[in-house]
Amino acid sequence: MNRLVALFLISILTLNMLFVAPLPLKAQQTPRGPWIDEAVFFTEVDPDKAVEMILKNEAQIYFDDVTYPHILKLVKERGLSYAFSYGLYYELTFNPVGPEFPATGKLNPFSNARIREAMNYIIDRSYIAGEILGGLAVPRYTALTPSFPDYARYADVMYEIESWYKYNLDKGRAMIFEEMRKMGAEYRNGKWYYKDEPVVVKFLIRIEDARKSIGDYVSDQLEKLGFTVERRYGRSGELSPLWIRGDPAKGEWHVYTGGWITTLVVRDEADNFGYFYTKLGRPEPLWQAYENDPEFYSIAQKLYYRNYKSAEERDELMSKALRLSIKESQRVWLVHLTSLWVSRPEVSIAYDLAGGYSGSWLWPWTLRYKDRVGGQVKILTPDLLVEPWNPIAGTNWIFDQSIVRATGETAALPDPYTGLFWPHRVEKAEVYVKEELPVRKTLDWVTLIKVGDITVPKDAWYKWDTSQQKIVTVGEALGDSVKALAKVVVHYGKDLFSGKYKWHDGSPFSIADIIFNFIITHERADPASPIYDKAYVPDYSSYMETFKGFKILSKDPLVIEYYTDTWYGDAEWIAEVAADDFWPYYSQGPGAWHTLAVGYLAEADRKLAFSADKAKELKIDWMNYIAGPSLDILRSKLQEAINSRFVPFQEVLGKYLTVDDALKRYQNLMSWYNSKGHFWVGNGPFYLEKVDVIAKQLVIKAYREHIDTADKWLKFAEPMIAEVSLKPVGTIIQTQPVTVTLNINVHGKPYSVGDILYVKYLLVHPGGKLVGYAEAVEDGLYEIRLGPDITGALEEGVAELITITVSKLVGIPTIAKTAFTVKSLIGYVGEQVAGVKGEIGGLGARVDSIESKIEKMSSQVKGLREDVGTLSTVVYVAVGISLVSLIVAMVTVFIGRRPRT
Amino acid sequence: MHIRKSSVVRIARYVSIRAGMVAVAVVVAVYLTIIVANIGGYVDEIIVSEIRFNVYESIRINPAYKGYSPEEVKKIAEERIESEIKRLGLDQHFMIRSFNYLYDALTLNLGRAMRIFSSSGSNRVWDIIGERLPTTVLLFTTANVLIFLCELFIGLYLSRVYGSRVDKLAVSLAPLSSMPGWFYGIFLILIFASWLGALPYGGLVDAPPPKEPLSYALSVLKHMVLPLLSWAIAYIPIGVYRMRTFFLMFSMEDYVDYARARGVPSRIIERRYILRPVLPPIITDFVLVLISSWMGAIVTESVFNWPGVGTLMVGAIAINDAPVVIGVVTIFAYLLGISVIVLDIIYAVVDPRIRVGE
Repeated sequence: MNRLVALFLISILTLNMLFVAPLPLKAQQTPRGPWIDEAVFFTEVDPDKAVEMILKNEAQIYFDDVTYPHILKLVKERGLSYAFSYGLYYELTFNPVGPEFPATGKLNPFSNARIREAMNYIIDRSYIAGEILGGLAVPRYTALTPSFPDYARYADVMYEIESWYKYNLDKGRAMIFEEMRKMGAEYRNGKWYYKDEPVVVKFLIRIEDARKSIGDYVSDQLEKLGFTVERRYGRSGELSPLWIRGDPAKGEWHVYTGGWITTLVVRDEADNFGYFYTKLGRPEPLWQAYENDPEFYSIAQKLYYRNYKSAEERDELMSKALRLSIKESQRVWLVHLTSLWVSRPEVSIAYDLAGGYSGSWLWPWTLRYKDRVGGQVKILTPDLLVEPWNPIAGTNWIFDQSIVRATGETAALPDPYTGLFWPHRVEKAEVYVKEELPVRKTLDWVTLIKVGDITVPKDAWYKWDTSQQKIVTVGEALGDSVKALAKVVVHYGKDLFSGKYKWHDGSPFSIADIIFNFIITHERADPASPIYDKAYVPDYSSYMETFKGFKILSKDPLVIEYYTDTWYGDAEWIAEVAADDFWPYYSQGPGAWHTLAVGYLAEADRKLAFSADKAKELKIDWMNYIAGPSLDILRSKLQEAINSRFVPFQEVLGKYLTVDDALKRYQNLMSWYNSKGHFWVGNGPFYLEKVDVIAKQLVIKAYREHIDTADKWLKFAEPMIAEVSLKPVGTIIQTQPVTVTLNINVHGKPYSVGDILYVKYLLVHPGGKLVGYAEAVEDGLYEIRLGPDITGALEEGVAELITITVSKLVGIPTIAKTAFTVKSLIGYVGEQVAGVKGEIGGLGARVDSIESKIEKMSSQVKGLREDVGTLSTVVYVAVGISLVSLIVAMVTVFIGRRPRT
Repeated sequence: MHIRKSSVVRIARYVSIRAGMVAVAVVVAVYLTIIVANIGGYVDEIIVSEIRFNVYESIRINPAYKGYSPEEVKKIAEERIESEIKRLGLDQHFMIRSFNYLYDALTLNLGRAMRIFSSSGSNRVWDIIGERLPTTVLLFTTANVLIFLCELFIGLYLSRVYGSRVDKLAVSLAPLSSMPGWFYGIFLILIFASWLGALPYGGLVDAPPPKEPLSYALSVLKHMVLPLLSWAIAYIPIGVYRMRTFFLMFSMEDYVDYARARGVPSRIIERRYILRPVLPPIITDFVLVLISSWMGAIVTESVFNWPGVGTLMVGAIAINDAPVVIGVVTIFAYLLGISVIVLDIIYAVVDPRIRVGE
């Protein structure tokens, strides 16, 4: 019996070792789908409370940007993780009409370009960024966003402008006084007068944010210069009828505290000059009142229309536009806000340089606990479920869209730090562009080929004809010799149709999902269609202006050809347009053909509508795939589809799927609805598990059958910002070559040369500045080699070397500086000789000094010996006394042995 | 029989006249709300400006429109602006719309919101309010009923022990009500959520929401504790003081003294001579409190992140969604009007001193 028990115990132990012991290891393996198991979204609009909840671990992330300096301080003190993004930026918009307003006859100082330019000097941007915004902003001087690619590209010009236009009240005052007098104004008793009336500046100041304090600060500065400032405070809605719709000639305002936003990393900001400074920008009266210097207007126009033939030409135009735009200063740029994004320190997540955590397309792939795989992350967001969810024209709110993105995926994904696209469901792409287009490529998945001419094949698909239920080819629609500016050959992943790549309801991904997208793109704009939506037509029309054709070269693996007149400066962007145009991720989310077919039936029956506009027009509900009254209708339409064995657009889709395929998909969807209670079926790393509309909560769970493992996008979890250390130079001697070394690391390791776009340097010396590029030696090591011709051109005095390192992996350039002295060769040699002479002269003195020191030391040694002698005597005496004491004590003990009573 | 019939006629006539007056008041109040909520039509101007700005901005920041000529951009933008203006119904003159709003309100159709959607995705004002009303009723009606009952019974008790230590203590606590409920709410959150971690910071239910209905209900109750407590601290002391004074005044009426002198037992005095005459004002108070609780409490809901009608109103006002504001006010106006009429009838029933038309 005992043996049996022993055997049983041994078996249990063995089984434990076999099955239980490997579990922790297995749990740490890279899972399929996302790193975490579940994300719970719930709302909190108050950032203070949200951060407090994160501190208490009631939530792990806040999906909204925070712009309060006290929270930044708290977050730093309490050790929370944080990231910065560039979103809002503030400026001063000037009314340019004048010198007198036609309606009132009053003087408008800001009709004078030099006064507007002078405003750059009287505003201390560092004060606004540091004091008013508590460090959550960086000064901004031009139309280019700090840290975005164009800023890095023209960093030398930016440096020059930022140095030249830094705060200088006296200089600004002198310019303004000179111009005001020229305009006929008089300065009396500290105030400006025009035709004996005070010159009043009507300042429209927004009050919702820091612009109130900024407006007050600028008003104070203007009052210091003698203007009478009339401050009119108001919210956006109250002030916009005045500045954006009102006629500036009426003289109702002079200055407005403008605010703009960037929601994604913009790689090409060249059109900003046309938009913000010229009539090209908008048709509103304010823009139409802009009058420009002809040279600047011509440059702004060329940049606006991308009317340049090479990157070099663009560089030249941009440099000129930057300098000329600040001379005109229809706007004076103030600061670009650096918004704070807060999370628990044990959580890691990729953030977008423009959109923060929630704006990043990679957040679902990178969100994880640093020390473990799996787990639940609670995410706070200011609002949820703001509008109905449907993939075609559903909610566009960022709070909802950041979750929608986790449930679907696009063929290519934007790099959150550079804005460049990386392939996701694509293997590679060949981009053909006309040779005169200044297109460049950065990443290896794209091959850029410049060609003379691109002809669209006649048999390429052009559009869908609803009436005839057929695809119209390019030849049928446009004729024989249709040309395009770009052609892209996209090679999708080989496992796309292997059956392993599935929608969340278990339906395998198929080519029908892509073709359905092609058809419905055209169907919604065709008046013959039951889902025609006239609100969609303007967007469709502009799309068709540039779309030239689509052709399937191979069905499995899928290879397509895409023809377009849309082009960007980056070949990766053109490739993305082609790869994603008919990929089943629609404007507002992922959509399998069968889920959209159900919506199609509901809209065709006028029960629901995909878009808000059509819903309003028909007085029906806006289609919602996740909750509300839409669900019953969608369910009945799904049943109808099953009963009628419905295959949408059967004439075409029927070639790619059978009725049984369709029924199988509908059954999958019905099971999904019965299990989850909604119709939201995606293919992303998370699926929608639960929606609580009353509590405003939403739970998404890891889709563990995803084709990719969680580590696919791991390298984007942290921005690869270059850490640059510049070896101090000390002195540069004219005409003598010198090499300056730069160590470029990332997270403590050498930065790969292949990932560095360029290292530009600026050498600012008393005689001007030199610009050049550092050379790569090896990973993490660059050298700036200044030959005799360069050092010979430097003027004597204190100089500064500034390096600008731009990576392919992150849009934020790293700027490093070192100061040095430029000396002439003669002067330097003279100094060296004088130095040597001085040293020789000083040598004798030093020898004398050493002798005296030796003498002093020997006397000290002598004194020390005497001290040691004295000390020895003391020791001998002490030992003697001790011995005597010992003997006396022993005798005493011997005599007095009897105990005390 | 003849007398009873004439009484019925008299009451019916009185009620009809009152109903007519109340109906006129409701119509005027609703139309005034329509005018105020739209700032006399200026809101149209504001919304159109915002639409224009947002449409052009959306085109500017969309890389797909890079390189488009200003004419092309203008064409696309203007079409979008027109479509949006039409969608929001702003293509119709405000005065015409104001009567449509009034008609919708009076027929209790309430129409569709301009921008706000219910979390379930409907923009019917009824659906939007209907989604928020249960949570508001749950929290604030519970709070008001509890507070009312506490005030009533504690006030009555204190009036009996007038001058005692308990009475003095209650009187000395009355100044607590100088601060609103949300003010105490902030402190309670700091103590019980932030410091002790014993109760939630806010919201309706734990995240993620429990799957079992009972756990869900318990979680909701847990989330109600702090808001209820904050209101109890803020509103019970003054309510108790008010009730106590009220009962004291009634207990000093001549007819009460006379009853005491006649040797009527104190329990009967309390029930018949004190409580019955005070019923009309107490019922009025109770009904009005009940109705006002359905409007929610804007700041308290915000502090406790409670998804109720109060925060809905704030949101609607902030983005100028007039139909929602009008809808909430209309429901309130109707409830108030009906209550006034019903109360008139109840007065006659509960208070023997009240007679109609005599």
